[in-house]
This record gives sequence, structure tokens and C-alpha cells, in this order.
Amino acid sequence: MESEEAAAAAAQAEEDLLRDFERILHDDPLIDEVGFLHPTQFHSLLVDSTNKSTSQYFWCVDHKLAISSSILPDLYRAARRAHSNATLNPSSSPSASDAALIMTHSKALLILCPDLLTAWNSRKMVLSTNYNLSHLKDELRLCALILSYSPKNESTWSHRRWVIKNLAQHLQDMPELIDKESLLVKDMAEKSKMNYRAWRHRCWLIPYMKTKQVLDELNKSKKWAELHVADNCCFHYRRSLLFALLDGAANREDSLICQSEAYLMWKEELRWNETLIRRYQGRESLWNHRRFLSQWWVQHLLSCEETSPSNESLAELFLSQEIHLLSDCLSAPSDEFGEMCVQAELAALYILWISKQDAAVKGKVEEILQSTGSLKEVLARACPEKSRLWTHLLH
Amino acid sequence: MGEEGELAAEKHVRYIVTAEKKKDSFESLVMEHLRASGAYWGLTTLDLLHKLHAVDAAEVVDWIMSCYHPESGGFGGNVGHDPHVLYTLSAVQVLCLFDRLDVLDADKIADCILLQIFNITGLQNEDGSFSGDIWGEVDTRFSYISICTLSLLHRLHKINVDKAVEYIVSCKNLDGGFGAMPGGESHAGQIFCCVGALAITGSLHHIDRDLLGWWLCERQCRDGGLNGRPEKLADVCYSWWVLSSLIIIDRVHWIDKEKLAKFILNCQDKENGGISDRPDNAVDIYHTYFGVAGLSLMEYPGVKPMDPAYALPLDVVNRIFLTKQQ
Repeated sequence: MESEEAAAAAAQAEEDLLRDFERILHDDPLIDEVGFLHPTQFHSLLVDSTNKSTSQYFWCVDHKLAISSSILPDLYRAARRAHSNATLNPSSSPSASDAALIMTHSKALLILCPDLLTAWNSRKMVLSTNYNLSHLKDELRLCALILSYSPKNESTWSHRRWVIKNLAQHLQDMPELIDKESLLVKDMAEKSKMNYRAWRHRCWLIPYMKTKQVLDELNKSKKWAELHVADNCCFHYRRSLLFALLDGAANREDSLICQSEAYLMWKEELRWNETLIRRYQGRESLWNHRRFLSQWWVQHLLSCEETSPSNESLAELFLSQEIHLLSDCLSAPSDEFGEMCVQAELAALYILWISKQDAAVKGKVEEILQSTGSLKEVLARACPEKSRLWTHLLH
Repeated sequence: MGEEGELAAEKHVRYIVTAEKKKDSFESLVMEHLRASGAYWGLTTLDLLHKLHAVDAAEVVDWIMSCYHPESGGFGGNVGHDPHVLYTLSAVQVLCLFDRLDVLDADKIADCILLQIFNITGLQNEDGSFSGDIWGEVDTRFSYISICTLSLLHRLHKINVDKAVEYIVSCKNLDGGFGAMPGGESHAGQIFCCVGALAITGSLHHIDRDLLGWWLCERQCRDGGLNGRPEKLADVCYSWWVLSSLIIIDRVHWIDKEKLAKFILNCQDKENGGISDRPDNAVDIYHTYFGVAGLSLMEYPGVKPMDPAYALPLDVVNRIFLTKQQ
């Protein structure tokens, strides 16, 4: 009997915690940061704070919420139970009061554990019953809040896309929404490096963009990339934008940019990338970006030559410039961090990459390389550790 | 037990069998939603180490079936959680380990992925892509999961395989790799899914083996471990994603296997069992599974061989495809 009473009391205590938590969330819908603090940390926060605290386990000031980690298991259990009870009768159109309970409990639950697909699904169910712009915007805010401390959370990003897809069906002003989304990813990427899911979200937005927005995004992400040269995701994003630009120009969707301008931008990207390669030694993502840019560029030059032959081969000229870059990387004196060695290795593999595009290019590369030695000699010198790879690729 | 640099198999078995029992911490509570996948990771590892009998098969099968949603035909990640293809595959794989596919209505699950019960159009979309559940998120992971599940249930003929393959191929990048969607950045995990799905459907001719092999083999870092994308640190889980893809496309001799095996063995907790993402980090079931599975792909002594496409022990896959179908 005693243990039953104790269990009932414990359950009641858990429910009281949940009620407090949900009241805080209700009273301040603009909370933009959540922290789970160790009890000692939490205690010192209470002591330092001049504001009166909401309770001994929660602290919420200026839209910043702190929760003492000591209560997390209890709070989670109560939220799970409350949410399960609210969703006991699965129906495609819950009553207004059921819907309100589902939204309240799932919010509390997801802030504690954003992985819970079932909780996100229950929200989608409620939100699907009728379109409500302000509810969907609230949803974006909840996602942003969770992503602020859990920036890689797959379910949250997925839910966000679901909300945007719904908004896109009704909203006139998509460009503004896309701008905000893009900015959100930029902020996330700042805090969590090479965040695949965040950048995937940004790439996912591209089909919603008009040419002007694509151009803006290219501009904005340039500075960012210069400051984060190891972040392959950002360079991938730029590649996707460049492709979108070419597609737009080819389809003459709008008169903002014609094909020749798109080619000029491609050329500029190559120039900019070379500057970065020379400035930051041994960065894999910069060389990867160059592989991609050159591959497309060489094909473009070759097809130009086919349609309008001239005495001077532009493709050959380009290839000699690339070999020149390689020679510079090979001849640079070694440094104490070994960055020059990595740079030489990446440069040699890059030339191998170009030469693999087709037989004609390979012939040209070998021809221009002659003064430096054969491609095989270059590879043996610059990347002996990768011989398993390139000996197979050379054949 | 085990000298320096050897697989501490017994300890890993004990770690897996006891991990199940610590369920009250907040960390375990917030993992409860993917328990079906956890079961697959733990049990497959036990089977690879010849210790599947350390658990009660009937108990596991009962529990797995309690995650089943008869009205939709899919499985949730735990009792009381919504169905999703992620956990449907895990559940089917666990049943395969115990040779208990007989408890399933295979057509019903196939219909869940395909036909009208889960949602009006099923989970295969017009462009050949697959959604993870009725809410429509599309991802090449879901293509693999759907194809793998249907194949294990001998129901691959129920989907439009050509369309499914066409969609996967549309996610191929200039570097030979694959992303989560068309135009998505190449990622070793997504590559495994696409390569695995193409292998199961007999469509590997869509892959440029040299090009993809190149990208995959550049994932080997100086410490011997594999990373999942350029400029990232090595992580034990990519021993599986990268290695299985390399094996499927027959380019595994391009990497240094000895160095990789050493890297994995260095990530073991040799006292309490379990394997972590990289040396000296905390162990978990997920990395324990991927570490052992990676060693299996490198034919490590005492570990059962693994099928690189179905992500199940080879004898389990053989039992499914070589015995007479029901």
C-alpha cells in the first residue's frame, strides 16, 4: 500500500512539474533559447539573478529559459504520459479541446526530446485540419528554438520542410520566407560546422528561388565561404546555385541573366577559388570545388571549340594554367605543419582528376606536363601514400 | 582477455546484453523512440560474434511484434510510437536474424510501403522516390529501406523498380557519389543507401565504379579511420558505410585495410566492452555494431561474414534467398 501511495505521489509531483513547464511556455511564446543546466549551475543562476525565479527548477528571463537537469527524467515521463493520453483517440480531425492539449503536451515533449517523430506527427495532424498562417509561423518558431540547441536534429528539419511546403501552397510572398530560411541556416552553420542537415535544407530551398535570389545567395555565401574554407557544405551549396543559374539562363526563364553572363560567373568562381587555394594551403574542400568547376569548364570550352574552331585552343590554354598551378604547389618549400605536402598531394590528384575526364584531355595534360615529368612521376612524388588509388586509376 | 589490438568479443557481448537493462537515465529515456533500431544493432552484433543465443528469441520477437501497427502494416520504433519505414526495416531485419519472418503478413507490409493502407498513394511517389511515412519527407535513405525490406520479404516485384532506380540515379553527383535528394551533397551514409539499393535491384551499371571508388577511398584519414565527407574527422560508423559500398563496387583494395582495422580496434573499451566513434570517446551500441560489422567486412577472425547490401550476416541472407520460398 505504502509503495502505491508513494508512486501516486511521485506521479503527482511529475505532473506538477509538467504543469509549471507548460505554463512558462504558454506565458512566453517568444522564448528563443533553452538551456539544460546541472543543478549546481542552475542554483548559481538563481543566486545571481536579480529577477524573481519562476520556480526552483525553471528560470525564464528575457525569453531565455533554463531548466535544472535534475528534473529531466521526471519531466519527460510526465510529458510522454500526457501526450499519449491526449492522442489516445487517433482521428484525422480531433476536437478543438483535444487539439489544444496535443499541441501543448507535444511542445513540452519535443523541447525535451526533439527526436520523437510521433510527437511531431501529432502536431502535423492538428495543423492539417485547417490552414492557419499564424499557427504555421508559430511552428517555424518552435523549430528554430529547438534547432538553436539541437542544430543537427533531423526530425526538426524535416518538420520545418513540411511547414514550408504547406506555406508555399498559400503564401504569395515566398521570397521573403526563403530569405529568412537561408539566414537561419547561415546562423546554424556558424554554430555547428559542416552541418549536413542544415545545408541540405538550404539546398532544398533553391528550387523555390527566382534568379535574382540565386544571385543574391551566391553573393552572400561568398564572404561566408572565405571565412570557412574547410566547410565543404558551403561550396556544395554554391555549386548547386551555379547550376540553378545555368538552368535559369538556358531556359530563359527571366531576362535577369543571359548564358554568357552565367559563363562569366563560372569563370570568376574559378579565379576566386584559385586565390583561396593559394591563400589557404592544403584544404580538401577548396580542391574539391576546383575539380567540379574545372570539369564542367573544360567540357564547356571543348564544346565551344567544336562549334567555332579557332587557332588558339582555349581548353589547352586553361589546362596549361592548371599545370602551372600544380608546378607552384609542387615547388613550394615544405613547412613545419606539413600543409605544403598536403597541398602538393591535392594538386597532383586534381590534375589526375582533370586528365580522367576524357582521352583527348588526358593526352593534352600529358603533353603539357612533359617539362615536369609524367603524371605517374608527379603522383609518385606528391602522394606515395595514395599509390593504391592512383596506380589503378592511371590504367 | 584479448591482447593489445585484438577484438574484445566477450566484453562486447556482455556490454550489449547488459545495456538493455539500464533504462532509467534521461539519456536512455530520450533514446526509447528508436529501440527497434537499437535492437537490430545489438542483436546483429551478437549474431556476428556467434552469440545470438545469449538472448531469448521468443521474448524479442514478441516485443518486436508489439511495435507493429496492423492497421498500417508498418512498425514503430517502440511500443506506442508511430510507424515509419526506418523501424519497419529494423523490425524485419531482427525477425530475419531469428528466422521468424513467418510471424509477418509480408503482403501487408509490402502494401504498407506500396499501396493504399498507409496512405492513399502508398509511399512510392510518382518520380520513383520514397517517403518515410505518410507525412511525405523524401530521402534516398527511404528508397534503400523500402527496397531492402521488400526484397527480404520477396515482394520487390510489387514496386516499380525501374522508377525507383531512376530516382536514385537522379541523386548522383559529379563526384560519383550520392546525396539525400537530387543535387544533395555526397555523403557516405547516403552513398551506402544508393549503392545498396542499386545492388539489390541489379542496377550497379549506373555507377561509375572508378569515380565513386575514388571519392570513397579519399575518406580514409591519416589515422586510418574513415570519414563520411571531406574535411571531417574519422568515425567508426563509416567503417561500415564506406567499406560496404567499396565492396559492392569492387574497389575495396584501394584503401589500407590494416590501418582501418587498427583504428576500429583502438576505439574499443577493453574493460567494459563496447566501441566508440573514435579513440577514447564514450561507447554506444550504434558504434559497437558498426565497428564489428566493419571488421566483419575485412574478414576479421572469429566474426561472421556480413552481406554488404542487406546489412545482415551472410548466412541469414542466404537462408532467406536460397531456401524455397513460401
